Amino acid sequence: MKKLPKENIQENNPLVVFQNVTKEYDNGFKCLDDVTFTIGKGEFVFLVGRSGAGKSSLVKLLIREQIPSSGSIVFDGVDIATIPHKEIHTMRRRIGVVFQDFKILSSKNVFDNVAVALEVTDAPKSQIKEVVDNVLTLVGLLDKSQRFPAELSGGELQRVVIARALAHEPDLLVADEPTGNIDPVSSAQVVEVFEKINKMGVAVMMATHDDRVVDKLKKRVVRLDDGKVVSDVKEGKYVQSTK
Amino acid sequence: MSKALSKVLQNVNKEKLFTASNLVVMTLTFLVFGLFVLIEVLSQTALGKLEKEAAVTIFFKDDFGESQILNLKSQIEKDKRVYSVKYVSKDDAFNIFKELNKNEPLLLESVTASVLPASLEVRAVKVSLLNTLSDEYSKLEGVEGVKFFKDIIERFNFWRGVLSLAVGVVLVILLFVSFSIVVSTVRTAISLRGAEFEILKLVGASDAYVKNPLIHQGVLYGGVSAFIAGLVYAVLIFVALFSGFLGSLGITDFALVSSLAVPAWIFAIVLTLVLTLCGALLGYISSTSAVKKYLNY
Repeated sequence: MKKLPKENIQENNPLVVFQNVTKEYDNGFKCLDDVTFTIGKGEFVFLVGRSGAGKSSLVKLLIREQIPSSGSIVFDGVDIATIPHKEIHTMRRRIGVVFQDFKILSSKNVFDNVAVALEVTDAPKSQIKEVVDNVLTLVGLLDKSQRFPAELSGGELQRVVIARALAHEPDLLVADEPTGNIDPVSSAQVVEVFEKINKMGVAVMMATHDDRVVDKLKKRVVRLDDGKVVSDVKEGKYVQSTK
Repeated sequence: MSKALSKVLQNVNKEKLFTASNLVVMTLTFLVFGLFVLIEVLSQTALGKLEKEAAVTIFFKDDFGESQILNLKSQIEKDKRVYSVKYVSKDDAFNIFKELNKNEPLLLESVTASVLPASLEVRAVKVSLLNTLSDEYSKLEGVEGVKFFKDIIERFNFWRGVLSLAVGVVLVILLFVSFSIVVSTVRTAISLRGAEFEILKLVGASDAYVKNPLIHQGVLYGGVSAFIAGLVYAVLIFVALFSGFLGSLGITDFALVSSLAVPAWIFAIVLTLVLTLCGALLGYISSTSAVKKYLNY
């Protein structure tokens, strides 16, 4: 990882800009309604809210699995809706994604699961080995690189996915409920990894409803409720919705 | 290139049973395809030969003398529609008759040269002109009768058409079956590897990275099976050539089209190449259709 030291990063220089983003499905259901906020380079942002508040929809829009019904999402100066279909993969390589359900290949060992992110770029084997070893060291799984997913705990699986998301040295790491499927001890380890990565200059947007994680880190908290941004606090805490 | 091939071979290795059934059905398809081409080419070759042999034979009355016949011959030779004219005298006709019936002495005793008519064998530049020429010659002075094997060529063309149609119908059915098999193989691969494709999307794999191995898989199935079929025909043609079988049939060249004939060995290579290309094309079309329809990437 060759990211800038945190102190050199201008947090007011946004990496992602959500501008009046609305997502409405064909059946009329509005999962996001006029959402506006930014994520600075190297910033750590929690996206909180109860289930169905629109957190996952926001993540899907950010990696352009979906396109907003109105408004724009600008990533590093580029409106991602305008990126031609054939070029989307280049943007996705700059955004690491971590999901609650891991999305891991059970037939491949830890090393190969991470290597897959580099194989898609046709990187040479020597480079793959070097990068995979680096990111596995970062998440503390180098000694388990030959293990298969069935031999790992939930927390370890999530760290494999984080390692895979880091393989491209992304500008932004997006995590959708990364601690949702793991025990509290493993959650703490996973969150530590996210913190470590953020300190290296990678912006992190973590959608979660895990109050312990949010309260422990004391980072910026953007709260969604019924698809709308209801609060945006710089060093926030997790506050349960009154609804 | 080697990476792409290695990916395709990995996929093939994962789907051994599908690969085997694909190769068998597609090889069968291209054997029928080869048969279709072979029938077309052989009948074209045979038709060419028949057309060269086809002639109008003008038989003359006994009182029409040899000098008159030769005079008529030189007039006919001036006709641009005529390729060649050969005079067969009564003696020549008798010699031919003797040669044809040399094992039947009783028949030979009962026939003399005077019984057989003198004739002119007229070959036209185009077989289609024979009918017109025949009509014209039958009205000439001294002509006893005119014959030509109009029916043979017409019948040959009729049966050639029937055979081509039958093989063509089977070919179309097999092409459809092969197309469907490749489509369902690719579709199954897409279903089985749905989770993997989702991950590849997340980690920034390009469209081509995901789609190309599936398309190449179809091209490989089509190309390999068609090559096998082509090889079978090439071996058969070479065996027929070197064993003298083709020679005994009077076939030295194969007519690709009416005006272009090539030696048998060149035809064998051309047939193998054409089949392989057609196979690869069928595989490409089938797998591309399947990817377009079933891969939501």
